[in-house]
Amino acid sequence: MTLFEWLTDPANWTGSRGIPVQVGFHLLYTVISLAIASAIAIPLGIFIGFTGKGEAIVAGSANALRSLPTLGLLILLFLVLAPVIAGQLVFVVPTIIVLVLLAIPPILTGTYTGIQSADEAAVDAARGMGYTRTQILWRVQMPCALPLLISGLRGSTLQVVSTATVAAYLGLQGLGRYIIDGRAQADFAQMAGGALLVALLALALELLFSVLGKVLVSPGLRRTTRRRRTAPTDTATAALTTLTAAR
Amino acid sequence: MIRFESVSKVYDDGTTAVDNLNLEVPTGSLLALVGPSGCGKTTSLRMINRLIDATSGTITLDGVDVSSTDRVGLRRKIGYVIQHAGLFPHRTVVDNVAALPRLLGGDRKKTRARALELLELVGLDERFAHRYPWQLSGGQQQRVGVARALATDPPFLLMDEPFSAVDPIVRAQLQDEFLRLQGEIGKTIVMVTHDIDEALKLGDQVAVLRTGGVLAQFGTPLELLTRPVDTFVADFVGGARGYRALGFEQLSEETALTPHTPVKLDERVSDRGWVVVVDDKGRPLGWVDGGNARDASAATLHTTSRFLPLTASARELLDGALAGPGGTLGIVDADGVFVGVLSASSVVEAVQGAAA
Repeated sequence: MTLFEWLTDPANWTGSRGIPVQVGFHLLYTVISLAIASAIAIPLGIFIGFTGKGEAIVAGSANALRSLPTLGLLILLFLVLAPVIAGQLVFVVPTIIVLVLLAIPPILTGTYTGIQSADEAAVDAARGMGYTRTQILWRVQMPCALPLLISGLRGSTLQVVSTATVAAYLGLQGLGRYIIDGRAQADFAQMAGGALLVALLALALELLFSVLGKVLVSPGLRRTTRRRRTAPTDTATAALTTLTAAR
Repeated sequence: MIRFESVSKVYDDGTTAVDNLNLEVPTGSLLALVGPSGCGKTTSLRMINRLIDATSGTITLDGVDVSSTDRVGLRRKIGYVIQHAGLFPHRTVVDNVAALPRLLGGDRKKTRARALELLELVGLDERFAHRYPWQLSGGQQQRVGVARALATDPPFLLMDEPFSAVDPIVRAQLQDEFLRLQGEIGKTIVMVTHDIDEALKLGDQVAVLRTGGVLAQFGTPLELLTRPVDTFVADFVGGARGYRALGFEQLSEETALTPHTPVKLDERVSDRGWVVVVDDKGRPLGWVDGGNARDASAATLHTTSRFLPLTASARELLDGALAGPGGTLGIVDADGVFVGVLSASSVVEAVQGAAA
């Protein structure tokens, strides 16, 4: 069976083990991990950016987190947690923890560097005008930090989406199933199919974030104008445009 | 009125930024703080709105000690303009101007309308209102900065090098417009600058500080130019002091003009020298050179010389006379009607007569 055949086989698209369900599970792990990571990293990043405290410690440990071997950590956590947690959760919790640890550093760094990189003159002006520190944070620094915060989230999402395949190691669902099962069954079309789906999912999320960026970030920071493009002036382009329009 | 009484600022490491400063800025006037870098001028400014706290001494605004008021409340009564404008990059121009009134709970529509008025006051029309700061030139950003500082109509204004980040031509233009604006709004202003010419041009009073935060001299621009207290001030004020001082002096109203009979356009010129040409209402159009031209026509008219009223500064009058045809300057009355000419020597005599 080729990759194409695997992807187009209707059997793979239906049932409780079908592609839509696995994509759903994959997204579920991703979203839960990102939500938890954001809930930790964004407030922490705001605190660091706001107070300037703990930057060295956090930056150092964030980098250390990045270098943790995911699979090793997953197995370790499973072994540690197995005696304390009962039921299906014993597989879910380690997986989520691993993904959360992976997702924290980019969000954290994005948040505090975003806040720190807010235009100093604007912050000074706000202070001089009589903004309180919290008003400066929420009305000046945070909006200015959004582009970096979102790009941090985006980085985390890509990492988590591709790494969420490890869930399958502990027998959980998700697109990792195809890779692990395909490997076990020496079904390389299935393996490749799983990998391809992960890549497509990552691409789709990437698109989602670029849309999110456009919606949330002020055009003043994106430095884009809403003005329409000026009409092409040289005759060649003009002719081409009319031609295309005529078709 | 802003008053500094024995104000000092000493940092923890022992450096003195401001040393026993005494100043008084009467209501509605502009004080320019000027000096070399490290003279504590910005520190002095920032102590007024308590971005920096004074180590000792008191600063009072209309008699109220700033250290007794809450920082945020204090700052909201004081407009603040800084070097690079410091506009909020994520807000449009109009929202920048309306930011503080909105923060203080102002109605959205009203604050916007007021913001648009303010933008017009600083010379920006509605086209700019919905742009973002990065889409404006440095000079335009600075105008928005001034409009924003005026948004809550504060009685006081602090300006930290407001015009130094723009090119000299735009700077001169902004300064002129700012003078006109101050004439309308009459705020009590403290401005920091490193540019002595800016200080002399804009300041009702100028305080020259020297390194270490010591006040070297405090006086009007004319006093600084004509009676610098020491060589530091004299050097700082720079060359051509005597000539520049003329910019702050006026000739007496009784200064005698040299009579001069003008000709009308298309009339014959009988005189051999330079003759003023006027229109039907007696307003000057230019000069014609009687040595070269037989009659006054558009072709023979020289229009490069200015005609000034006697109320212009002595510097402008002298300069006009020195640059004028035949070493004379055409003088007009308040209605713009030509009344006579002045030579450079008569300007100098009039100035000396006033000084004597």
